[in-house]
Amino acid sequence: MRQSLTAVVERNVTFDAAFATEPYEAGWADEARWFIRVLEAAGEGAELVLHPQISPDGLFWCDEGSAPLAAHGPGLYSCALRDFGAWLRLRGEVHGEAASFKVVIALALKG
Amino acid sequence: MTIADDLRLALIQADPRLSKFNPLPRILFYDDFDEGVHGWAELIGNHDGNLDNVRPIMADLRPPQLSSCTFFDIGTHGSVHGTYALKLATRAKANHMAQLIKRLTFVRQGLVQFETYFTYKAEQIFSRAKDDAAVWDGNFDPSETDFGDLTISNDVCEGHEGTRYHCALRYLNTDEHGKLVQKWLYKTSVQTSTKMHRAGIAPPAMDYHVQHPDDWREVPGGFQPLCYNEVPTKVNWHYLRWSFDTQTRRNTELQVNDLVMDLRDIPVPVYEVTYKGLSHLLNFCIDVRTHRNVRNFLYLDSVLVSVDW
Repeated sequence: MRQSLTAVVERNVTFDAAFATEPYEAGWADEARWFIRVLEAAGEGAELVLHPQISPDGLFWCDEGSAPLAAHGPGLYSCALRDFGAWLRLRGEVHGEAASFKVVIALALKG
Repeated sequence: MTIADDLRLALIQADPRLSKFNPLPRILFYDDFDEGVHGWAELIGNHDGNLDNVRPIMADLRPPQLSSCTFFDIGTHGSVHGTYALKLATRAKANHMAQLIKRLTFVRQGLVQFETYFTYKAEQIFSRAKDDAAVWDGNFDPSETDFGDLTISNDVCEGHEGTRYHCALRYLNTDEHGKLVQKWLYKTSVQTSTKMHRAGIAPPAMDYHVQHPDDWREVPGGFQPLCYNEVPTKVNWHYLRWSFDTQTRRNTELQVNDLVMDLRDIPVPVYEVTYKGLSHLLNFCIDVRTHRNVRNFLYLDSVLVSVDW
C-alpha cells in the first residue's frame, strides 16, 4: 500500500506581508497537493498570491514553475505538484491596501 | 534463564532490526520510519473546534517529517537502516518547540521501556552575529551551541477520573545564552494543562513541560557530552533507553550509550486534580526546542517500546 501523509504547516495564521512556509521534506513522495483554506480576508483589493517552491536541501529555494495560485477571499484553494525533488514550501505575497489573510495551509503527500 | 528465554534472546539477536535493542518481554510497538510515521503525530492543545482557542504554547508544535537526512554539502546522509528517519523541526525562532506524540492506552500497570536511535542538529547558517563569541577552529563548530534541548516524556492517567502525571527527561545542550551545558535534567512541577490554564490555577506556560522555566533539576551523574560531530551536516546516531514504572509512578532508568542513570529515587510530580476521559492513558512524546533564532532538528531512526505485562 502506498504511503500518504498530510501535514498542517500553518494553522490560523494571519499574513499581511510576504512570507514563506517552513521547509518540509517530501523526498519520499511522488505527488503533493497544497490546500490553502482562507478563513478571513481583509483590505481593499486584497489578493494572496502563492508560489510553490522547491529546494534540494531546505536552504536554497526557487519557484517550482507552475502558475501561482491567487486568492481574494475566504474559501479552499489547491494546487498539485509532481517531480519536485526533496523539499517543498510556499512563497506568499499579500497585495492590497492594509490587506491580510488568515489561513490554514496543509500539504498532502503520497508515494 | 529458561530455554524459552534463551530462544527469545537468540531470535532477537539474529534479527538485524531488533538486535540493536534490549526489549522487555513484550514488544508493544516497533517503528521503522522507512515505513511511515507509525502514529507519531503533531501534538496540539485542546480546543472546541475553534483553533484560535488553542493555547499559544501548544498551537504550533509542527508536523512530523520523514527525512532522508539530506544536507546542502553532501546530499543524502540516510538513517541507520534504510533511508528515512522521523524528523522534528522547530521554527527559526528562539524558544520555539516541536513535539510529536504517540497515543496508546495500557492493559496493565508495570514497566514500560522506550528505546531509540537518535541524532540532533542545528540548521546550517552561513553568517553569524559579530558578537557571537563562538569561533570555528576546525574541530569545534559554533553550530553546536545553536542546539537548545531535547526532551522525552510520557502522559499517564490511571483510570476514569484517575491520577495523572508526566515523566519528562531533558537533555539540555545549551543554556539560554548559548553556553554548553550538556546535562540530563528531570522536572519538578506538573505541566500546565489546558484545564489548569482555563481555571486560572496556573499562568500561561513559558516552558511546555513545567509551570516555571526553572522547574528542572540535574539528574545525578547526568553530565554527558554527546557526539555532535563538529558540523551541522554530519549525523551520528545515539542509543537511548528510557524506562518508567506505572505502578510506582516513577522513571526507573535512562541509558544513553554507556551512561546509565538510576531514576528510581527521583520524584515525579502528580496532578492534584483528577482527569476525565483519559482512562488508562499511555502517551509517548518527543520534542526539540531551540534557544536561538536557528532551526533545531531531532531525528529518530527507529523506536521500540516494550513492557513487562
